[in-house]
Amino acid sequence: MNRVFRSHIIDITGIILIAILVYLISFSSGLGVSFDIPPSLLNLNVIFISILIEALPFVLIGVLIAGFIQIFITEDHIKRWIPKNRTAAVVMSCVAGALFPACECGIVPIIRRLMSKGVPVYAAIGFMLTGPLINPIVIASTYMAFGNDFEIAGLRMGLGFLIAIIVAFSVSIFFKSGQLKKTLHLPHSSENNRSFLDRIWSMLTHSIDEFFDMAKYLIIGALLASIVQVYMPAKTFLQNADNPVVSLLIMMGFAYILSLCSEADAFIGASFSSIFPKSSVLGFLIFGPMIDFKNTIMMLSVFRMKFVLGVLALTASVVFFTLLLVQNFI
Amino acid sequence: MKIHFQQALRALILLAFCGLIFQLHYTGDITKYINPKYVRLSQSASILFLFLFFIQITRIWTSTKEEVDHEHHHGEDCCHHDDHNCSHHHDHGDTPFTGKKLLSYSIILFPLLTGFLLPAKTLDASIAEKKGGLAILGNQKKEVNTSAGSEQSDFDLEDYSFEEELEEAEELEHDLSVNEEVEEISNEEFEQLKKDLYSSPAIKMDDKVFSLYYEEIGKDIDKFIGREIEFQGFIYKEEGLASNQLVISRFLITHCVADASMIGFLSEMEEAPKLYDNMWVKVSGVIDKAVYNGTELPLIKIKDWKEIEEPFIPYLYPLTIKIL
Repeated sequence: MNRVFRSHIIDITGIILIAILVYLISFSSGLGVSFDIPPSLLNLNVIFISILIEALPFVLIGVLIAGFIQIFITEDHIKRWIPKNRTAAVVMSCVAGALFPACECGIVPIIRRLMSKGVPVYAAIGFMLTGPLINPIVIASTYMAFGNDFEIAGLRMGLGFLIAIIVAFSVSIFFKSGQLKKTLHLPHSSENNRSFLDRIWSMLTHSIDEFFDMAKYLIIGALLASIVQVYMPAKTFLQNADNPVVSLLIMMGFAYILSLCSEADAFIGASFSSIFPKSSVLGFLIFGPMIDFKNTIMMLSVFRMKFVLGVLALTASVVFFTLLLVQNFI
Repeated sequence: MKIHFQQALRALILLAFCGLIFQLHYTGDITKYINPKYVRLSQSASILFLFLFFIQITRIWTSTKEEVDHEHHHGEDCCHHDDHNCSHHHDHGDTPFTGKKLLSYSIILFPLLTGFLLPAKTLDASIAEKKGGLAILGNQKKEVNTSAGSEQSDFDLEDYSFEEELEEAEELEHDLSVNEEVEEISNEEFEQLKKDLYSSPAIKMDDKVFSLYYEEIGKDIDKFIGREIEFQGFIYKEEGLASNQLVISRFLITHCVADASMIGFLSEMEEAPKLYDNMWVKVSGVIDKAVYNGTELPLIKIKDWKEIEEPFIPYLYPLTIKIL
């Protein structure tokens, strides 16, 4: 009885919500152009919305996969791959990260749990750097964003992997273990034998929560990127774009501040490709997914401040010097 | 029974995203935002939002018994939201509504409001200026103007095992009256188009070949000097141009308008002072050469021009060549 009542009430709620939306839309189209908006704001809006529309399919795929991992894959699956030997562990963690499709918003909680289960700090960092950068969605979106050209996507993955290995090695040399903010007591997740359908269901609801977590970062990033496009004259850039060092720094700075989701940043990176040289755009594409502003904040909830700043400086300089070295060959 | 208003708000937002994308497709305005080649991808996003909406509405009402169950679960899975000690610290939408949450919901609602309320506008001359104007035309490195697309140019979603949604997406596609797919051309056709450029008496730059011909002419201007040319575009004037000079330009959209790059010809005509920014014209003239900031540019001496309406699809898209 109660069940029937509940399913009815769900139907009714759904219908009410659809009605509210239809009402709001029809109301808005009537309101339309009744007030004057400067054309530059309209340009801004068009660019802003277009970035979102392009990014949303990838974000949705991303959150569905994140939901899937949350429910179906345990940390033990990944931990099994990490060997005792330090060198092997660094390489394996980078490979594991490359195989593991995650987004930089989701990766911090994952490495926190991994570390609490005994994964060494350098392996966790290697995993954190390649996880968001190298995965099928990022490859696909980079490939498409740069006019179905595989060159940039290939360079992004290849160089990114190399840089991640260098950083992870350096971490293993410079930092001792025990960089965690405080001892974390994490009980093992009890995978109670829930039915398959139940797990699918919780995967989907997790995906929705993940979407709401990520959407706000994406929206802020898209808005900032479109403000830059509409209000910042490219000429000031162009004067600097000739200088490879400055333009690389500008693009890496952009990547850090914008804090874009790695599944969508390719489109924004591509929009700069007519202004900046290829190596600077690669700096944007490689540095952004590894570490950015929001990611730094999230890392502070796991690691000590000193360690976070150290990793940030280390990653930034490795990306910077690697790209300076290779820019003559690409 | 208990109602969760935040869950209801989330359901409404999911539905609104679905509605926004659907509306853009329905009115055809989507071409003002993205390259039509990618419409299928954004349609599947719309379907996915609808699907997630139906999942979400079941969370709005919980019976008191389930509520207890849920709490219990959380304890087991170590979800202490506040001390950030859990494996995934998302917001499940169950925690109380705070100022911080108000802010994050407002951020998410913001693009929905501007998307529905503000009209889609075509990029104009002011953007051309911000993109660097003539300096870009001169500096432009050889861009990848022809993108190579394989048979399945849209992203293969099936790998991620939601065939069901994909089928739905395909069904719906037939109903949605978005303009036809951007045609792909074979390699032979592509070579033929290039040949036509050299052999035809007058160069006709229609939208399909504009970017290709533009690139070819830019590569070796000397070969084309004295040839007749016909094209259309919007007027863009830049400081530093002579009073009889202006730029007739177009935007080339690789993916979405955020990556628009400007292409166009520096042109000379006597009536130039009478023409204003963003006015669309169809012109014919003769190709010549000019030097701007040390780089050679094609210069069009306009013989004939007329004002036209802005085309329904104002942008250019790169040619897609079929590999297979």
